[in-house]
Amino acid sequence: MSAVSESQDIEQATAAIEQATAAIQQPDNKTRRYDRQLRLWAASGQNALEASRILVLSSSATATAVLKNLVLPGIGHFTILDSAVTSPADAGNNFFLAGPSSIGKPRAHEAVPLLRELNDSVEGEAVVKDVRELLKTDEGRAFVSGFSLVIAHNLRKDTLDELSKLLWADHSNPPLIAVRSAGFLAEFFIQYHERCVAQPHTDDNVPSLRIIRPFPALSKWASELDFDKLDPTEHGHVPFVIILVRAVEDWKKTHDGKLPSTTPERKAFKEQIAAMRKKIDEENFDEAEAQVWRIWRDPPVPGAIQSLFSLAPPSDSPNAVFHALLQTLNAFVAAPDGPGCLPLSGALPDMRTDTESYVRLQTVYKDWAAVEKAKFKELLQKGFPDLAPTISDEEIDTFVKNAHHVRVLRGRRWSEWDADKEALASSLTISPRETAAHLGLAALSALLNKAPGKRCRTGTSDHASRGCVADGSTVTVDGLRAEVQQLVGQDIELPEDVDTAIGEIARAPTADLPNTAAFLGGMVAQEAIKMITKQYVPVNGYCVIDMVDMWTGTVGGQ
Amino acid sequence: MATAAVLSNGNAADWADRYYHVDQILDRPGPRTDPSFLAGEEVKKFLREKSKILVIGAGGLGCEILANLALSGFKDIHVIDMDTIDISNLNRQFLFRPKDVGQPKAIVAAEFIMNRVPGVKVTPYFGKIQDKDDDYYMQFNLVICGLDSVEARRWINATLVNMVDPEEPESLKPLIDGGTEGFKGQARVILPTVTSCYECSLDMLNKPTTFPICTIANTPRLPEHCIEWASVLEWPRVFKDKKMDTDDPEHIGWLYKTALARAKEFKIEGVTWSLTQGVVKNIIPAIASTNAIIAASCCNEAFKIATSSAAYLNNYFMLIGTDGVYSFTFEHQKRDDCPVCGGQALDITISKEWTVERLIEMLVERQDVQVKKPSMATSTKQIYFQAPPQLEALTRPNLEKKVSSLVDDGDYITVTASTLPFDLTLRVQYT
Repeated sequence: MSAVSESQDIEQATAAIEQATAAIQQPDNKTRRYDRQLRLWAASGQNALEASRILVLSSSATATAVLKNLVLPGIGHFTILDSAVTSPADAGNNFFLAGPSSIGKPRAHEAVPLLRELNDSVEGEAVVKDVRELLKTDEGRAFVSGFSLVIAHNLRKDTLDELSKLLWADHSNPPLIAVRSAGFLAEFFIQYHERCVAQPHTDDNVPSLRIIRPFPALSKWASELDFDKLDPTEHGHVPFVIILVRAVEDWKKTHDGKLPSTTPERKAFKEQIAAMRKKIDEENFDEAEAQVWRIWRDPPVPGAIQSLFSLAPPSDSPNAVFHALLQTLNAFVAAPDGPGCLPLSGALPDMRTDTESYVRLQTVYKDWAAVEKAKFKELLQKGFPDLAPTISDEEIDTFVKNAHHVRVLRGRRWSEWDADKEALASSLTISPRETAAHLGLAALSALLNKAPGKRCRTGTSDHASRGCVADGSTVTVDGLRAEVQQLVGQDIELPEDVDTAIGEIARAPTADLPNTAAFLGGMVAQEAIKMITKQYVPVNGYCVIDMVDMWTGTVGGQ
Repeated sequence: MATAAVLSNGNAADWADRYYHVDQILDRPGPRTDPSFLAGEEVKKFLREKSKILVIGAGGLGCEILANLALSGFKDIHVIDMDTIDISNLNRQFLFRPKDVGQPKAIVAAEFIMNRVPGVKVTPYFGKIQDKDDDYYMQFNLVICGLDSVEARRWINATLVNMVDPEEPESLKPLIDGGTEGFKGQARVILPTVTSCYECSLDMLNKPTTFPICTIANTPRLPEHCIEWASVLEWPRVFKDKKMDTDDPEHIGWLYKTALARAKEFKIEGVTWSLTQGVVKNIIPAIASTNAIIAASCCNEAFKIATSSAAYLNNYFMLIGTDGVYSFTFEHQKRDDCPVCGGQALDITISKEWTVERLIEMLVERQDVQVKKPSMATSTKQIYFQAPPQLEALTRPNLEKKVSSLVDDGDYITVTASTLPFDLTLRVQYT
């Protein structure tokens, strides 16, 4: 309680503020700057971002838009690899070039300082080289493989193919995000072997409260509580968890130790809870009735987690720790002296009760979660004696707390899907507009690869590539259609969505529109952040975007 | 040919090929372009020389919107924002630097855009949208909102709906609205009086977390309860009428310390500076990437509407980026009983026994009404008025009276409130 008396005046009160805050420092500048994002990915996510080094191929409008959204939240380092010279068109659509004064100068050099000024703590570098040349040397390949993540925008198809093969060759190589856009259509693909997500943030609900599998302290509390002896206030403050544990226990006594399962049984069970009320308006009993689903739906292991147990860990996976934790989780569930279910998370939702009961219940849950975590660690030590000592307590903690919804994603190499005619044709039936947009963009990159079509302005002869743009003059609706047909197979009839997609692409085959670039900039940076922080769940497959009808979709995932 | 024509328009800032990318769209239609689209010089001239667009908000979305519009070819942009720059804005509001902290957002953002994108005029207004009248809003072709306030959105929405004169097609100003929260966001196109408006969808908003006062006062369980105790109960008790400033670190410090002491007393863990600030300022997580996505989608709609180069969003795009990328595009339906654009009274059915006070409570609770401190009257009598004090005192006895003793079955009540930018008409029926 505050010691301040009620009669003090404003001056005294202000002095009280100063006194109070003297000892309490507000957070430092860095924490304040990143406050709005730390509320999402916390210090652990921020540390991962700050340790990351990102390579971006191209400094197109889209590429700099992606980088902007990575520099702002504070990645450690970025390198732009781009041999292009700023064209008048670049100066018109790219916010991170200095307008007409950048024309004729190396694009990457012009972009890097304007991106760096967004955040002093981020390092940035421009490498004015052609990626094709770089990929020819061991040194160049090692350079590319040395980053945490590689992002490429509208890279030539054959170069992208070479790059994706290089990065795919070794599990320890960085993931690749391949981005393609033309006018209102765009897509990106994340190439990874495997992503293990310990903090997916996909489920806000508190996991199992162990109502049907009570641990000793919980069971003891519920069974020893004499509801009849409680005064009305106490009765109205019994936490719903205790009410439910007790109700289950009482039910089982009269039903051969079985839980209510049929509809009439469940109805009877709810009536049993209602009968425990002393008054009609006891809010804790309202809650118990509202939370009764926790009894019907509480599998020992959620199906999605169970299926991860049978996942063979890849031999050279950099995710060995995660797989060790996953196998330990399986061992924990199977252990004869264990609870036969996932370890307790220790979290407790808020509920109608008094402070004392709540704090007591919280302690009971926390203590038991610690007991099960110790058991988990023991199994980890036993199963993985070499690995266990290298795993931090925090890592184990995070894993156990999220054990009910951790995720493992398996991916494939960029363009692998495009070689699978059957899969493409089937996807074209299931998700016609999304698949059509993907095929259209794949067809475009195939066409541009064959003949980019160049248009150069006159009077700029001092540099070979100055003022030249790939204008896509070789791109026609018929050409695109033929490429699409080749991808899916000649005997497949193309739906109308294909005409819509290729018509839109033929209209603006080389347009890097400011709004499409900005949209992609947000999308791709967001996925990059998920990949780096290992929080939230990244896209699996091609994320396709249509900015005419304004939709997004995912196709070609595993 | 296209570029030469633009140059000859005499706009010195336009260099050849400046709009190489955008012109691919404006020089020819796509498969889904409306036949009324006139590809070529006319549409470029309209976009670059004639159109005038208003951006409301120069924050997370606003900074992005301004940059996108400028690059898309809008050259006469106005921006309104009443805020100044805070250090916590710098993780996403990319037109601001540490040296700008404390400066008005609208002014700094406008200057930045004009420096970076030649030939674009951005006119800032550092103040409230409510300062401006219909004549001001009438000058624009389009309005884009990047706001974090429900109240401001309701105001501009009601203003633009009321401005529509069926005789004057120019009086219909498309309103494009964006909003984000963490990895989630939405963008929508509102054609006032034609499509569903902001007020029509008020019930889609998440209900803000509120804690019952008895929990805060008597049975705190969560750290949030202790923080609410410090801010809602202790602050006014200790400091009387002194206004709490949630941007003042000393005030937050006092609340933090006070909440921490209470938490210790009750053995509650988890009160931190960050949580204290989050609870008292109702902080919503915000990141650059989500803002970029939503702002881009708003500007893309503005571009399509201004040029007719492609069909525009009909009418709601919702994005959830936590688990892969999930989005949902749908047509939100207009509500016939929408108090702003529906024209019909809102039907409510209540018990004959209900008091006026109970009715007020219901209105405050309702997600599709969202009113604070409403005043009520029928066409012939005053039911209850929150202000001025004399009128409040005069009508206060009515609070305990039954609504049915003051209003006949099927009769109308007009509800007004300072937070409500329109009059809400209720048609009362009794069970």
